[in-house]
Amino acid sequence: MKLIFNYILYAILGIFAFQQCTDSTTKKHYKGLVISQEQQASWIRNFNPLTPGGSARWPTSAGIYEPLMIYNSMKGEYIPWLAVKHEWNMGNDVLKLDIRKDVSWSDGVPFLGKDVVFTFNLLKAFPAFDVRALWSYLESVKLLNEYEVEFTFSSIYVPGLDAIVGQTIVPEHIWSKVEDPIKYTNPNPVGTGPYTEILKFQKQVWELGKNPNYWQSGKPKVEQLTFPAFPTNVQATYALINGEVDWAGNFIPAIDRIFVDKNPENHHYWFPRAGGSIFLYPNTTKKHLDNKAFRKAISYSIDRELIAKVAMYDYTVPADITALSEGMSRWRENKIRKENWNIFSRDKAISILDSLKYSFSKNKALYDNNEITFEIIVVSGWSDWIRAAQIISRNLKDIGINASVRTYDFGTWFSKLQTGDFDLAIAWAEKGNTPYNLYRGLMSQKLVKPIGEVSALNWHRYGNADIDVLCQQYEKTSSQSAIKDIIFKMQDIFIENLPAIPLFSEPSWGEYNTSRFTNFPNEQNPYAQLSPNNVPENLLVLIELEPVK
Amino acid sequence: MNTSVKYLLKRLGIYAISGWAAVTLNFFLPRMMPGDPVSVMFASFRGKLKPEAIEALKQTFGFTDEPLLNKYISYLSHLLNGELGISTAYFPEEVSSIILSSLGWTLLLVGISLVVSFIIGSLIGMIIAWRRDGKLDSILPPSFSFISSFPYFFTAMLLLYFFGFKLGWFPIRHAYNSNLIPGFNIEFIVSCLHHAFLPASTLIFMGIGGWMLQMRNNMIGTISTDYISFAKSKGLSQKRIMIWYAAKNAILPIITSFGMAIGFILSGTILTEIIFSYPGQGYILYQAVQAQDYQLMQGIFLTTTLSVLAANWLIDILVLILDPRTRK
Repeated sequence: MKLIFNYILYAILGIFAFQQCTDSTTKKHYKGLVISQEQQASWIRNFNPLTPGGSARWPTSAGIYEPLMIYNSMKGEYIPWLAVKHEWNMGNDVLKLDIRKDVSWSDGVPFLGKDVVFTFNLLKAFPAFDVRALWSYLESVKLLNEYEVEFTFSSIYVPGLDAIVGQTIVPEHIWSKVEDPIKYTNPNPVGTGPYTEILKFQKQVWELGKNPNYWQSGKPKVEQLTFPAFPTNVQATYALINGEVDWAGNFIPAIDRIFVDKNPENHHYWFPRAGGSIFLYPNTTKKHLDNKAFRKAISYSIDRELIAKVAMYDYTVPADITALSEGMSRWRENKIRKENWNIFSRDKAISILDSLKYSFSKNKALYDNNEITFEIIVVSGWSDWIRAAQIISRNLKDIGINASVRTYDFGTWFSKLQTGDFDLAIAWAEKGNTPYNLYRGLMSQKLVKPIGEVSALNWHRYGNADIDVLCQQYEKTSSQSAIKDIIFKMQDIFIENLPAIPLFSEPSWGEYNTSRFTNFPNEQNPYAQLSPNNVPENLLVLIELEPVK
Repeated sequence: MNTSVKYLLKRLGIYAISGWAAVTLNFFLPRMMPGDPVSVMFASFRGKLKPEAIEALKQTFGFTDEPLLNKYISYLSHLLNGELGISTAYFPEEVSSIILSSLGWTLLLVGISLVVSFIIGSLIGMIIAWRRDGKLDSILPPSFSFISSFPYFFTAMLLLYFFGFKLGWFPIRHAYNSNLIPGFNIEFIVSCLHHAFLPASTLIFMGIGGWMLQMRNNMIGTISTDYISFAKSKGLSQKRIMIWYAAKNAILPIITSFGMAIGFILSGTILTEIIFSYPGQGYILYQAVQAQDYQLMQGIFLTTTLSVLAANWLIDILVLILDPRTRK
């Protein structure tokens, strides 16, 4: 019997022996720069940069096509791209964009202002493409001459600039002939970006080649990009460790041991805390949680150092009192504040509860002789947040509050969050180029919906009329100093009321391998965020990468 | 034979009713999950997408506030025309083309592993039952029960780690070498088999035990019947009695459970395909559930239901041929 088994084993190995050789020689040597950004089992050929929800292949909207300007979050400024300059009129209701000259589409046709006008009118004709609801405040988009486009607003809304310059532009000479642009998969894209040629498209791998007519001469320096399909994070991580992937944006636990130690010379990562902040949301319609002093007591009781270290693998740091992540630190007002609820102080938490007439018996906080119980909801399988919730649960127990952790499926969790069906929840907050989106999303009274109704923002149902006044001022000014002033005022209101409890900054995940390609951004050379997940900033990285000589 | 035809037609009727029930469940179950495709997609951007995008997404996918019943009726009428709709997770791809491109791989994987584990399991079951109390009989059943009691993903990950990642004998992902162009040639077929080896082995490993025990128990039942003793006393060879007298009868109930197993295995490949990155239906289903892609979920459930029903009908015919008792 043993003999037979051996024969079978040898036979199997024999059959696959030559296969093995071919595989091991080819697998590590794709010609192009291998990127792992999307996780898919098999690729679907879609290069429509306008479909919402990201069903087009990365980097369609910032790589094959390009936006008018790119916000560099590491530098905190706009980089002129297809548009070189923007200018508001006196009343801030007409915006003029100067379009870059000497740019051509990958098929050789020159790129002109009419392509910009066409794209914006396409958004008007197909509201499905108007992801940023531009046409809710735009009145018209007009061509002044070949290189100047004028946007007229129906109401003053300066933050609309972010949406306008962030728009990906498509060529009129091609898209005007597309019958149903919404269902158009654009199999052979014509764009202005650095990479436009689809060299190969198969279910398991596809390749993207350089644009022969790219407007930045000498760029890109890497000939082609290769995208193998990795369906899961584990698979992508294996490939990264094996040296099969050159650039990725995956979360990897204990990355120094798992990834860097395998090849310290070439395996690198950079996790700048450039994402948003992660919050513990208190449902402010619930008893106890409706009181800002109570919320501050909770905040004092949380050991953020421990969460950053244990739950987040030491990849992040405790949240700042302004709730702004490190990437937004230029918007923090540096002044001496009387509030310091982001420090860890059990005594302070208990003294607040005391002053609010909570009594204590047998290590339990009581109010009107009732125990206080909450549930913290987290997405099942999101182990970092689950661990953070468990730490918070223990911290709250130490001040006599019984908070249990419950995990839900992603869809269920988000639906509970949106309808306000929770006590405490860990979640992200809205991101943007300035903290306006964050503070408005967390505190605007206009966004507060009744419990039970789906709300895309302000899940914790906190409204503050002062914020709405400030938002209005913000929306009407293009003066940088006025903007800063307004943001600082919003900051004070946030700190005073603590509508949502910031926990830590969210790192932006990025890994790279320098054995074949180089010039990735890193801590020493932070020219942009490393993570390919950060569209359209990824474009800034794409054009800087070079092959190793 | 007339009665057999009637029997088969009657079964077909029952399958038609269960098919309709399944289709109806396929429609309502995904919609009973909390949340909806648009908010899940919105949420997956974790704050990078503005809330205004929700309206744009609804427009794109053509979501309306029609009552559920109307949607159900139009779903049925589309189904009768063979239209499965458009996927939201893979927008604007047709559900049918997504399913077509993945179904083949799943059928290959499931087909190979089910047939192999069925044959090996039944053969071993037959032999160990015939030589009851022999060495094999005391070793194999407990060891296979031991193996199949491991959680499936654990075995799969273990194999993937050692044979794929550490030793590098087998590829750790995909259905064929990405540098090859799919076609009917030796190199491509060998590459397919090479890639299917690890995932199929895990399914076979986990499956053999069940078939073996079932076969062994049935064999023990048939061995103790009178006709076996009669065959023995007639002096027929051991081999002939074992295969043509005992095993032939013992295998009948197992064939019925083979039909059932197709259904279980189709759903069981979800884990295999995720772990081994195998581009089959299971992984697509996982994605569809994650994204709450109603159309895609319905489509995959439908193909699963139809293939289970079809398999069972074939098994009905097979049993009719093999077992004279059902032909009355």
